Amino acid sequence: MANLGNLYRKDRTAILKHREWRGFADTMYDYYRWLVTWKDMIVMVLKAPVSTVKGLFRYRWMASYLSAPAFVDRHVAGLRGAHLRIAHLHYNMIVKHATGLIHTSFVADEKINPNNKLSKKIVLTDEIIPNEIFSGFPNLTVVPLQTIPIFLTSMVDQQITPPYLEVTESFGVPADVCPLPSAEAGVAIEDDYPKMGCCMVATNMPCDGSVMNSTFLDRRLNLPVHLFNIPLRYHDEDVQEYAVEEVKELIRFIEEQTGEKFDWDVFFKALKNTNKQLEYELEKWDINKTAYPQMTGAAFWLYRIYYFNLSGGVDERFLKVDKKVNQIMLKAYEQKVPVSKEMRHRAVVWSCPANYYTSFANWLENCWGINVVMDMETMISYLKFNTEDKEEALKDLAKTYQRSIMRKHTKGGYRNVVDELWRIVEEYNADMVIMYDQISCKGMDGLTGVFDDQARERDVKFVWVKQDLMDPRTISRRDMREQVNQYMSTVLQENPLDPTLVDFEDDLAW
Amino acid sequence: MRDLKYIYEFEKLLLEANNDLVQKAKNDGGIALGYTCYHVPEVLLNCGNCFSVRLRAPRTGSLDIATYYMSNFLCGFSKAILERAIEGGYQFLDAFLASETCSEMNRSAEHFELLHLVDNEKFFLTFLDMPFKIANHTVKHYVMQTRNKILNRLTEVYGVNTSDDALLKAVEEHNEVCRLMSEIGNYRKEENPRITGYEYHVLNLVTYCCPKSLILPMLRETAEELKTREPDVKKKFRAKIVVVGSEIDDPDFTALIEESGALVVADRYCFGAMPGREEIHINPNEDILTQICMHYLQTSQCPRYMSHEKVQERRDYVKWLVDEYHADGVMYEQLKFCEYWGYERALASYVMSEDYGVPTAAVDRQYTASASGQLRTRVQAFVERLEIKRIQKERAMKNGESRESL
Repeated sequence: MANLGNLYRKDRTAILKHREWRGFADTMYDYYRWLVTWKDMIVMVLKAPVSTVKGLFRYRWMASYLSAPAFVDRHVAGLRGAHLRIAHLHYNMIVKHATGLIHTSFVADEKINPNNKLSKKIVLTDEIIPNEIFSGFPNLTVVPLQTIPIFLTSMVDQQITPPYLEVTESFGVPADVCPLPSAEAGVAIEDDYPKMGCCMVATNMPCDGSVMNSTFLDRRLNLPVHLFNIPLRYHDEDVQEYAVEEVKELIRFIEEQTGEKFDWDVFFKALKNTNKQLEYELEKWDINKTAYPQMTGAAFWLYRIYYFNLSGGVDERFLKVDKKVNQIMLKAYEQKVPVSKEMRHRAVVWSCPANYYTSFANWLENCWGINVVMDMETMISYLKFNTEDKEEALKDLAKTYQRSIMRKHTKGGYRNVVDELWRIVEEYNADMVIMYDQISCKGMDGLTGVFDDQARERDVKFVWVKQDLMDPRTISRRDMREQVNQYMSTVLQENPLDPTLVDFEDDLAW
Repeated sequence: MRDLKYIYEFEKLLLEANNDLVQKAKNDGGIALGYTCYHVPEVLLNCGNCFSVRLRAPRTGSLDIATYYMSNFLCGFSKAILERAIEGGYQFLDAFLASETCSEMNRSAEHFELLHLVDNEKFFLTFLDMPFKIANHTVKHYVMQTRNKILNRLTEVYGVNTSDDALLKAVEEHNEVCRLMSEIGNYRKEENPRITGYEYHVLNLVTYCCPKSLILPMLRETAEELKTREPDVKKKFRAKIVVVGSEIDDPDFTALIEESGALVVADRYCFGAMPGREEIHINPNEDILTQICMHYLQTSQCPRYMSHEKVQERRDYVKWLVDEYHADGVMYEQLKFCEYWGYERALASYVMSEDYGVPTAAVDRQYTASASGQLRTRVQAFVERLEIKRIQKERAMKNGESRESL
């Protein structure tokens, strides 16, 4: 396992000089999966070669996706056996689904294919709205507007966000706002969203910045826009009537804009799939509570947020992956297979992770033996849907949306993020919290002192890691690592598992 | 101009949150209700023996403790409120009616509970869930929120009379304040106004921060005094501007602008009069609370409203203010780290300038702005820009060019 740092080129790109040797079987499996990633990308190009190539030259962000295999490599570094297989299965599903979205975006893009029919059948949505509600419109294609151009790209390639941030900042938006909505506004200012769709569904999720960038998107898109409101104080029962009415209003809007009728049967089928996926998810959580967790690191939350928002119970490939993963996981658990060579600390990661360093949890594991057994992004809604009664199903849906990504914990009161953390720490038997200090997140910044006070009271190892979500210019990956290095070497006085990973330069890396 | 009779008294009242009038009302058995957001209907907090105090943190100095709790990256207002609360400056409060409208103020308010900042066992803190658009069901939701979280809580905890009659009485008193402030505000439309922006700012703040019944006599007298007040013959300003943006409760900010040559003729910011000092028109045949809530939803100009109509309305409203108050330009200001106004300032100042042809300046500022040399320079530069535009316009008119071609 050791000496992973020696694999990196020393030119600040951290490109691998050669693939990691993991023993014969694991190396072959990893290599096979690397080929599968390339295969999926090539298939995407072959399905619409002209549109894809035009898209590559038209949109700055498209080139970032060429580095997707390196993205997967970063996230499986150091993994072995079942853990390696689980991670690969998850990442491959993400790649498969994302290539489908890219394909749709280019084929429907009126800038590339003027007057195409597909565009009129597309409903654009804010990326943060989970897909379940749209499953009731099987004849429509739903494209989350920001996912492909900026959200996912920023995870694949840390270099893609700064140009868009600079555009927004040049326009006059302060540099201290959250970089996620700021970058999304930048894409709008640059006219770098594919032009498609008959209407748009905007939302007030997750936070103030996203609320505000909608004015920039609205001005650029020039489409009929529906505002889908999600209540903030979601534990109050008196907000639920309004929440359900919002869902109904959304359905009415899409019906009016597209002429389609909401199909309850398809909707219920999708909800059943979502329930099944949730069962698989809860199994993973249960195993991670034990002394033999099987899925630590970034695959856990990345896959979770991806399917939570984009599967919507419609794409059954996710279910197949879940089933397979859980078989591997249960078998490894029964055999008491350790998830990594040495698990020194069981950590909970809290607050939003940095998009530009999604593999940070893998580094924690490989360098210091800090295994992340649960995190805030994974711990989003885990409510089951009623799949028989229409009104009850909508109620469940409304409640689920109130507990979605970046929303569940940052809104509705401090208890949702402070008390919830201590509950998770206890439940997962964690001895350490990796606390992201996402410096531009106003909801989390407002509780820094309280977290510190309460961590001291509980005697939890509490490691603050400053980061800026999508802006590596402010706090680089190396700066993030250094904060952990300092804590581990000075406060805990531990030696790294892999000294070659303690300090390396990767500011020019994807 | 001659000083207004009560201006020094008003200024003195603004030096403390727990000022003389607040103390007097408390001693008379009043219930002090703190709030910080327009979405908490001020008029509801003046029911029965309650009185509203819009929270400020005058004479703010170091924010060290608040920075420990809320980091360096939150707006100065939210941190100043927390710092003052930790210092014990809001011990007089009987309740804090908050709303989860912006994350920063929401977190600040939560610390009242987390750190037990008010020693009063009956003290309560409540948060409204505010919708982001106006529709039948969102109005219904807002009404339910105000009933459950404000009126019912006041009745349960303090036995406050929140009947329709009590609401109507509160509206009546509120409307008198609004009528007087509008009457005074109308003088700002004059070519050479008989009241400065600073004076109006002080008066307006006093109406937010002091019990209405105690401030009204002085306000009436001031309105009467202004009827005959003569402005200076020689104008002391070089341009008139509308100030639009995030929370300003520091009249020194307006003073700084006016010292730099611009007269503030309209205040379209949180804690300003637009909105805030419009009368609430009640139809006795309809539900009173619903009409009150509707008034606040419709008049709110908060950038958190995302719907296309509301966004457009905000811009049209600013243009209307420019025309109505004969302003030469608009200054968009943003309290540093305010997420809402960070975006709104950038886009709206661009749109006003490009689409409406109104000269704009966009500035960010700290919570207390009086000592800011940079800000003074920005205002001076804006004033010069407005003057140059006016000279160019006059010259072109003289040369017979059409107004449209300018």
